[in-house]
Amino acid sequence: MTDQLGALTTIFTEFYYWVTVVMMFLIHVGFCVYEVGVSRYKHHQHTLMKNTLVIPLVTVTWFFFGWWIYWAFPTGPGIAPSIMNDSAALITDESTFSAKWYLANSEFMAINLGDRISGVFWAAFLLFSWTAASIVSGAIIERITTFAFGILAIAIGSFFWVIDAAWGWHFDGWMLKILGYHDAYASGVIHAIAGGFALGVLIVLGPRIGKFSSSGEPRNIGPRNPWLVTIGLFLIYTGFWGFYAACNIPIFDLGPEYGMEGVTYWTATNIYITPTTLSGITFNFLMSLSGGLLAGYVVAKGDPFWTYSSGLAGIICASAGNDLYHPIQAMLIGAIGVVIAYKMHFWVERKFKIDDAVGAVAVHGYAGFAGLVICGFVLNGYPSSGYSVGAMWDGSTYASINPLGQFLGAIIMFGVLGMLPGYVIAKILNGMGKLRIPREVEIAGLDYEIMEDDRDAEKAVASSTR
Amino acid sequence: MATVTNWIDHLSAKEVVGAVYPGAGSTETLLVILGLVFWIGWHVITNKSESEKLSRLARKRRGANDHKSNITDW
Repeated sequence: MTDQLGALTTIFTEFYYWVTVVMMFLIHVGFCVYEVGVSRYKHHQHTLMKNTLVIPLVTVTWFFFGWWIYWAFPTGPGIAPSIMNDSAALITDESTFSAKWYLANSEFMAINLGDRISGVFWAAFLLFSWTAASIVSGAIIERITTFAFGILAIAIGSFFWVIDAAWGWHFDGWMLKILGYHDAYASGVIHAIAGGFALGVLIVLGPRIGKFSSSGEPRNIGPRNPWLVTIGLFLIYTGFWGFYAACNIPIFDLGPEYGMEGVTYWTATNIYITPTTLSGITFNFLMSLSGGLLAGYVVAKGDPFWTYSSGLAGIICASAGNDLYHPIQAMLIGAIGVVIAYKMHFWVERKFKIDDAVGAVAVHGYAGFAGLVICGFVLNGYPSSGYSVGAMWDGSTYASINPLGQFLGAIIMFGVLGMLPGYVIAKILNGMGKLRIPREVEIAGLDYEIMEDDRDAEKAVASSTR
Repeated sequence: MATVTNWIDHLSAKEVVGAVYPGAGSTETLLVILGLVFWIGWHVITNKSESEKLSRLARKRRGANDHKSNITDW
């Protein structure tokens, strides 16, 4: 940094992402609080600890290989050529945005005076990874082993979601070029995939003991502490706001970037480097939250647990196109997503005996899937990138956003990279006898021994006060 | 081990070397190997202890409400 303006821009960008990371930490705090609020007393501490371990496990694996995958896989590999080197191979060459710089032993994966962005950008994506793993965590509480959850968290948080981010979020991703895929704030890239992954695991894991009667009728195991659920979800809303900012590039000159001679156009952009504004996405974030809450209150007949969750589902459903929607479109799309998610949750629960303890598959998976499909219709014809506009299936140029591409994208996110790997990994873990805790432990409570020790300690303390 | 011993010399060099952590340029791969051992080792150790804990608790066959007798008052 040798001139003041360049230094100011660089330091501002560094600080901008750093602030979003701190804000997004609240998502994880929210998930922890929320899961404790939903779980039963005898499982509280285990539930909390399981979700807490997402932080270190996904962080270290994200450092070792997750971040590298994001930069290496935009071409598939082998599906569409990169706009940087015209090759469809993994991007590991000497180019500026090559994965080569993000190997765990690279000098840029550390304090480096010549690079002030990699660490904060790495952390922003890492927080997205925690979220993906945490979404799965809620659905499977009270009966999964910590070992199995750790493996599953790493799989979704540091591998599968990163593949889909490379394909459908990276500015060079093949899904943009071939399908015209658009998912500005991750309806599919984080939420549909994590929801699908959770569903795949749940199929193998099975329901909590007592969830279904002998005749197969589902029973309600409602949240045990509505106040913690409320605080948790409000924290998630807050962190989600930070996530929206983290998905943007705060200041960028699109003139030279798009090759427009003599044109200077400074703006915020979305993750695809097409223009949007923080102001605009603030409108849409709050309006889709509101649409979700209003619809949730109606369909859930005022049930607080589902109404709060519906606020989240509303944002998730509108997120794919919230960089371009009108706020009222965002509100209505949020409301539609909530109705679909809520109805689907109870239909799947009854039909397939799936016990999703927190409604994660519905709020993230179904709402995210629906959001992608709706986006294809509402933003039909918009360019998926600023670099070049081409036809679907071309591969060397970028297709426009369209309903078919979005639908196929939703299937890739929810099914191919979400549900299928979740099911397969859970099957393997189950085959090893490592997936589910013993029935006797589930009945006694995962915290039984901790509680027993606490009681004995209390007795000892009480006896010393006589 | 120190990569920088004089900031004035370091920053006034014709080409400033960005990596300033201890062992820059020579220890990164070794650090990654150590990190991987630490990570995988954690899974091995915790898997073993969790299996033992679950087996121990399963053998006791506690009832669904037995935990209530363990609730502490303060």
